[in-house]
Parts: sequence; structure tokens; C-alpha cells
Amino acid sequence: MPSATDSNALLQGTLDLLILKTLALEPMHGWGVAQRIQQISRDVLQIGQGSLYPALHRLEYRGWIQAEWAPSENNRRAKFYSLTAAGRKQLDAEVANWDRMADAIALVLGRKGEVSA
Amino acid sequence: MSARSMLGWTSRCVRQLLALFRPAARRNNRNNLDEELQFHLDQSIQSYIAAGASPEAARRQSLLDFGGIEQAREETYRQRPGWLLETLLQDVRYALRGFRRNPVFTITVITTLAIGIGATTAVFSVVDPILFRSLPYAHADRLVSVGLTAPILPGEFMLGGSYYVWRDNQKPFEALTSETGVSECDLTEHNPARLSCASVEASFLPTLGIAPMMGRNFLPEEDRPNGPRAALISYGLWQAHYGSDPTILNRLIVIDGTPRRVVGVLPKSFEMPTLEQADIVVPQALDEAAERKESPDTVMYAFARLKPGISAAQASAALDPVFQYSLSLAPAPFRKEVHLRVRSLRDRQMHDVRLTAWVLLGAVLAVLLIACGNVASLMLARSSARERELAVRSALGASRARLVRQTVTEALLLSLAGALAGWAVAEALLHLFVAIAPAGIPFFEKAVLDLRIALFAGLQAALCGMAFGLLNAFQEPRTLAARNADSGTRTSRVWTRRSLVVAQIAISMVLLPASALLLRSFWNLQQQDLGLRTRSVLTIGVALGEQRYNTPQKRMQFFLQAQSALRRLPGVTSVAVSDSLPPAGAHRESILNVISIAGESRVTEGTGGMVAWRSVTPEYFQVLNIPILRKRDFNVDGQASNQQASSENRIILSKLLADRLFGQKDPIGQRIRPSPNDPYYNIVGVAANVRNSGLTGNDEPEYYRLRRNIAEDWNSSSTLILETSAAPEAIAPWARSQLANIDPTAPVELVTLRERVNRLADRPRFEAVLLGFFACTGLAMAVIGIYGITAYLAQRRTQEVGVRIALGATRSDILRLIAWEGVRLILIGGALGLCGALAAARVLASLLFSIGPRDPLTFLCVGSLLAIVALIATLIPARAATRVDPMVALRCE
Repeated sequence: MPSATDSNALLQGTLDLLILKTLALEPMHGWGVAQRIQQISRDVLQIGQGSLYPALHRLEYRGWIQAEWAPSENNRRAKFYSLTAAGRKQLDAEVANWDRMADAIALVLGRKGEVSA
Repeated sequence: MSARSMLGWTSRCVRQLLALFRPAARRNNRNNLDEELQFHLDQSIQSYIAAGASPEAARRQSLLDFGGIEQAREETYRQRPGWLLETLLQDVRYALRGFRRNPVFTITVITTLAIGIGATTAVFSVVDPILFRSLPYAHADRLVSVGLTAPILPGEFMLGGSYYVWRDNQKPFEALTSETGVSECDLTEHNPARLSCASVEASFLPTLGIAPMMGRNFLPEEDRPNGPRAALISYGLWQAHYGSDPTILNRLIVIDGTPRRVVGVLPKSFEMPTLEQADIVVPQALDEAAERKESPDTVMYAFARLKPGISAAQASAALDPVFQYSLSLAPAPFRKEVHLRVRSLRDRQMHDVRLTAWVLLGAVLAVLLIACGNVASLMLARSSARERELAVRSALGASRARLVRQTVTEALLLSLAGALAGWAVAEALLHLFVAIAPAGIPFFEKAVLDLRIALFAGLQAALCGMAFGLLNAFQEPRTLAARNADSGTRTSRVWTRRSLVVAQIAISMVLLPASALLLRSFWNLQQQDLGLRTRSVLTIGVALGEQRYNTPQKRMQFFLQAQSALRRLPGVTSVAVSDSLPPAGAHRESILNVISIAGESRVTEGTGGMVAWRSVTPEYFQVLNIPILRKRDFNVDGQASNQQASSENRIILSKLLADRLFGQKDPIGQRIRPSPNDPYYNIVGVAANVRNSGLTGNDEPEYYRLRRNIAEDWNSSSTLILETSAAPEAIAPWARSQLANIDPTAPVELVTLRERVNRLADRPRFEAVLLGFFACTGLAMAVIGIYGITAYLAQRRTQEVGVRIALGATRSDILRLIAWEGVRLILIGGALGLCGALAAARVLASLLFSIGPRDPLTFLCVGSLLAIVALIATLIPARAATRVDPMVALRCE
């Protein structure tokens, strides 16, 4: 169970970014999002379902993604999420933010050269 | 916040609100979420099966991967906009349901809060202008009233001869200024009005730091005799009489027949430092040179602005040289009784109501404390009764934060209701106060409810309710099993409740004797022998206008006519005329040691104190039923008209004065001269003593000059006193019409003597009623408190009692056991309170009349009353505890 204390803010923000980025490729249902993130990150990032669905719903309420019920690949009704225009803007903002953060952390760790190379 | 994020925030709020009103959508959402989660689970199972797991294992693994489904659902649900608002509403609904289930608790808390908040707000609204109001002057904290005190006048004053010397030679003040009092004046224009005019020095407004709203202050030349006639008018007069005319400046208005130029309009907040009403302010225009020479002449009141950093006491010390000069001017015998006084303006304004105000404030704060104690105690009791409920809710997954939020919501709801009810109580109390308040308490009629203090009192009540309610919610909710195991950990809370009860009893024990003392003092006042009859006496005050009655003959004519007309009225037995009436202190006074006895040279030291005197007709003594102890050729009924006709100067002494002047000797037939400018008077009688300095003051010696049918004995304002055989109220309309027949324009005031005397007792009555009310309220609350704690403790020991009874304890053993808990609290609280009460009683000493502040009887009675009431409150629940059936008690756990 994810702890809701220490790095909550960072984790939550990161999860939002990952979901937005994943949905930017194509509309997907929750399972698909989790699988895709796991695959792309080569099994490093495992999204706990306990935080995935709250995050999806939060993003939906904020208007960054929209949901639609549609038949899935095995013909079951599934809820497909897709990025809205506002979501796309948000994604750009968050990516920029992430880059800045990553650069800053790299600087602190003394690895500036490696990153920019 | 940027405009954009502001917009985003607003739209989110709107969405939250909208979401609240779509229950159908909410339900739909929930179903959708279930389906979505199920889909996720199924996909997971399929992927495991595809990887070669058995369906059973795949299902198990998927569930493990997923974690708590319910938690995920809750967490997702919490992301909804409106979630917070929704839970708040849920909490409110839940709290309201709880209140409805437990109406006694709810009503008790709300009533307690309402009384506490209401009483505090009402009393504070009344005392605020007396104690804490900021005076409408610039840097008012540096303004002082300066002057001499002597037995002749109640407040400090200055005399022309001293004032100018002080002004020129003083060191501690930035400025010293004076006024010569407020008097009635007539605006004799086309639209005449009776107003009050204050006469001030030209430096008066600048010294107080007042700038006219329009126009300018007086010029120095306007403050000289025969200078240009100027006037400043009040904001109220400008608005009401001149319709806020912007061209009022430089207009000529006619005051008492003299045209004066309006040079300015005073600001709305203007008031005289003596709080007297002043519609028009004019320069006093004293002839400085004449005043310096002829001393003492004009009575003035001086005010000064202290230099920064100098206190009133330092100023007083620095004034000593000029004070010594003033003393040297005073006649030698008076010097010992003349003192210097420098005190703050607020002290001068409020000197005699300050103590009352503080006592009231103290009493009401004590009531608020008791109320808070009760609320806290009730909340504690409620939360321990709800322990089980909280444990269940916590077991069902309610977070600590959620339980705390619930408690806070409840406390806030209760205090909101209490504050609203308290506002109504305050409104009612304030009306009551104004209705029963004595005249002469400044600003009383204008008192309005103070919102700040209501908020403060409400907040305080909410806080104390919340703090104790929270004690529970913050504690780790125990499991149901642990809860049943023991109740030892709850001792701390029991201890808190016990201390609360002890504090409540102690505070009540301070309040009760104080109010009992005031009540007994009031009773003494009412019961005292005034030395005169108050029943069946009607008094008619008449003030004849100076213009219509400009000669003593006309005045005498009026009063003699009135006297004989009234005497003819059916139901009137006799009629007297006097210039003043006891027992109020408003009479003429002179100094004892200026009285000289013919043929004797009295050796005297000091002034000997003040002597009251009146100018009365002989019937005075019969009408007021004042016994004449000794007499010579003088009949109290005044029938022998030749007596009045005679031009002999006759005088009657009070017993007190006769003893002072003549000791054992017979005063009848002696001749005295009341003051150096008077002729000698023949003493024709000695009258019994009459209270003549108000109801509480020390009696002064007194003499009566008998009026003759000679014009010079009759002044323009006198009081006709009627002895009636019927009820004086019934005579009043007849008397009024009789007087109207003689002169319809003469202003008359008809009051029964009893009413006059009652008015004198207004202040003590007000104090006694209010303090009594607060003490009873406090006592009632404290009793509820002790009842509650005893009932609670008894209930907690049900099992123990059952065991004891089963083992053979008798009912009275049990009663003693349970009651002892309460009795202990009563004893401790009572003892603490007694110490407090004895200390507090000292403050009351000056409010009390013929009863000591530590009157043992009062303390004994009040202590027993408290003990008995509290004991009853203990015994009721204790007796209930003895009725426990041992079998039931043992089974119930």
C-alpha cells in the first residue's frame, strides 16, 4: 500500500505526468495505462492500482483528460481516457517542469555534464 | 494569485457546488467506478492465465496485486470535487440527528451558552462606555481635571482668584484651561428654543484638542468683557434647528436677548468634559483683572493637558507652590479642609459609577466562566457516553481526522445556536437594564449591543466546548474489547470534570454572598427610618419663569394663591411650601462655624462641616410628620395667620444642630445668626432629625427658616407639599388643573414623595437585582454541574455497587459512598470560594449600607443555601444508585 506521507507530493505529481504522457499517444483504459507505463519503463515503474484510479479520476475532474465508454480489444465495455486540449497544455507544462527539476537535481548531485551530453 | 488561477479556482468551486446537487450522477459514478475496477481485475487475471497460471492462482495473484479494492474506491471517490463540502454536510446532518436524539443535552448546552453569552454581551455593552470608551479628545490620556476640593462642592473646582495665578505659574501642563459651567439659556429668535449654554475660556477647545467642524475657535478678544459676542453651536443644534445650513457661519443668533455671531460648528463627537449637555458654547468673557482681585468669586472648572511623560501624581506634586498660594487666600478656618486634586478626565466623569461597573463586569465574567465550565463538563460527559460509538466508527474505517472534524462540527453548531440565542437574551437583558437603570449613569440610554464582545463570548464558549470534546476524539480510539476491559484510563477525564465542578462551586460561592450582601444592604436602605412620612404625600415642583415673575411679590403671590387653591381641594389635609425636600441631598448648605449665637462668642476650629438649610412654611413639619420636640409660640399647622404676618425672623433647628450649638442648654428663645450677612433669628422650635444626605450619606445638621408673608422670603422655584387623605396619585390631576387655573404656563412636576424616595434607591436596587440575577444563574448552572458529575460517577460505579450490595452492604452504605464524592467537591469548592468571597467583599464595602462586607450571618446563610442545594443535587443521583438490583448490575457487563 502506498504510503501517503513522505514523498507524496513528488510521487503524485510524477504519476500525473506519466499518465498524461501515456495518454498523449492514444486513448487508453486504466489497465492499458498501467501496462504501458510498466512496459516502457522496463518494469521499473509499477503503478499501484490504489493510486492509479484516484489519479485518473482527479485528472478527469480537472478537465485534463476525458473518459468515454467503448468496447475494448476483447469486446468488453471499458472506460477509455483521452487527453483534452487543456491536458495537452498541462502535459507540456509538466514536462518542462520535470526537465527543470531533473536538471536541478543533477546539478545538486554534480552530474551536470552527463545529463546535457 | 494570477487571474487565470483565480478563474480556475472559481470554476472548481462552482463545479463542487453543482456536483452536490446531482445525487443521481453520483450514484451512476459509483457504479461506473465498480465496473472500471472490475474490468481492471479481469484484465489482470487474463494476463496471468495467458502467462500459464491456473484460473485460481491467477485470481489470487491479481487480487494481491491490486491491494485494497475498497480503499482504492474510497480514495478515488475522494477525488471528486465537492467531496469536502459533502462530508461537512454529512457531519452537520449527523450532528443534528445526534442532537435530536439527545434533546436534554442539546437544550442544556444551548441554554447555558445563551445565558453566558447573552449576559456578558449585555453587561459589557453597558459598562464599555463607562470603563473603556475612548474619550473624544486628542490624546485624551494626557487630559486631567485640576482643582481644589472642599466640602462645599462635590467635584474639584477653581476660584477666579486662584485660577489665573495657577495658569501663569504652573509647570507640569502644556496648557491649562477653564469653563464656568453649563446653564439654561433661551434662543429668542423667530423659532425659540430652550437650550443649554456652556461658557468656556478661549483656550478651551485647543487644550482639549477639538477643532470645530466648520468655522473657527474663539479669538482672544472675544473672550474679554465687552468683546465681540461670539458663539459656537453644536452639531446637533446645527442639524436640527438650522437644517444643516452651510451658510450658518457669521449669522447672528439671539441668545437670552443678546445677539451673537456664530463663528463655528462643533464636531459631532463634541461633549463637555463634565458630560453636561451643551447646545451652544460661548466665551466666558471674565474680567481677568477683577477676578484676580476679588477672591473668591467665580467658580470655575479647570482642565489641563499634561506634558508628555508626566503623571497626574507628579503634576499634583509640581502644583504644590501654587496650591499653597491658594490656601493662603482661603479663610484660616477652612484651610484644613481644602485639598488639591488632579485626576484623569475619565475618573472625573465616572467617579461614582466605576465601582458598580467593575462589580457588574466581574459578576458577569464569573457567570460566563461557570457557563463555560458547564459546557465543557457536558461535552466531556457526552463524549464518554459516545465512546462506544466512536470505537465502532473507527473500527469501520473512519480516520482520526474525520472523527475530530465531526466533534468540531458539533461544537461549532452548538455554539452557533448558543450565540444566536445569546443575542436574543442580550437584547432582552439590555432592555431590562435600561428599564430599571437609575438615572445618572452616563451613556446608559444610548447603550447598544456590542458585536465584538458577542463574538468574543461566543468564540470563548465554542473553544471551551471544543477543547473538551476533542479530548476524546484525539485519544486513540480503543477497540471494543479494550473498552470493556477496564475504565482506569478514564480517571484523568473524571478528574477534569471534578475540577470543573469544584471551580463552579467556588465561583458561585463568590457570587452568592456578594449579591446577598447587596440585597441586605438594599433591604436596610428601604427599612431605615427616614424621620418623615412618605405615604400620602404629593410634591409639586414649580419653577417660575424669570421674565413673567420678575419681582419677589409676583412669586409670593403665585405661591400663596396656589397654596390656598390646593388647600381647598377635597382629599388635601394640608399644604406646605419648601425650597427643597429631604432625603435627597439637593438643598441649600452653609458652614456650621459661621453660625453665631447672640450674646456668646463661640471659639471654633475648622469649618465644623456643612449645615443643610431650607426655607419652609410652618406647615412643613405637619405635612411631613416631622415631630417638633420643643417649641415656643409656633403652631405646626400654621393656622394662626398672624404668625406668618409678623415680620419676626424665626428659625427651627434640627436636634442634631441644637445639640452641636447648645449642648445641654435649652435653645428655645436663643437668637442665632446663620451667616454673617444675615440678621439674627429667634429659635422657636427644635425638630427631630431627618435623613438629609440621600439614603446612604451621613446626616447633616439642619435648620429651617420659616417663611413670612414678606416677598423677599419667596424664591422662584419651590416645592408645594400636599398631605392627602386620599391616594396622592388620585389627587395629582386635580392639583394640576388648580395650578393651571392660576398660571397655565408655569412648568410643574408632580411626584409622590414615596416615588421621590424610591428614585434615590434606584442605584442600589439596580445593583442588587443584577447581581442577584447573576448569582442565581451561576448557582443554577453550578448545581446542574454537580448533579451531572454525581450522576455520571454513580453510573460508572453501577457494577461496583452491585457487588457491594451482593456482599451485604446496606442502602445507606451505598448512599454514603456515592454522596461522599459529591460532598467532597462541594466542601473543597465551598472553601475555595469562601476565601475568594472574603477577598472580593472588600471591594463591595463602599456599595453597602449599614452592613459589614464580611457580615457573618450573610455568609453563614449563603453558605448553607449553597450547601443544601448542592447536596440535594448530589443525593438525587446517589439515591438512584442505591436502587441498583445487584443481579442486573452484575449481568450488565
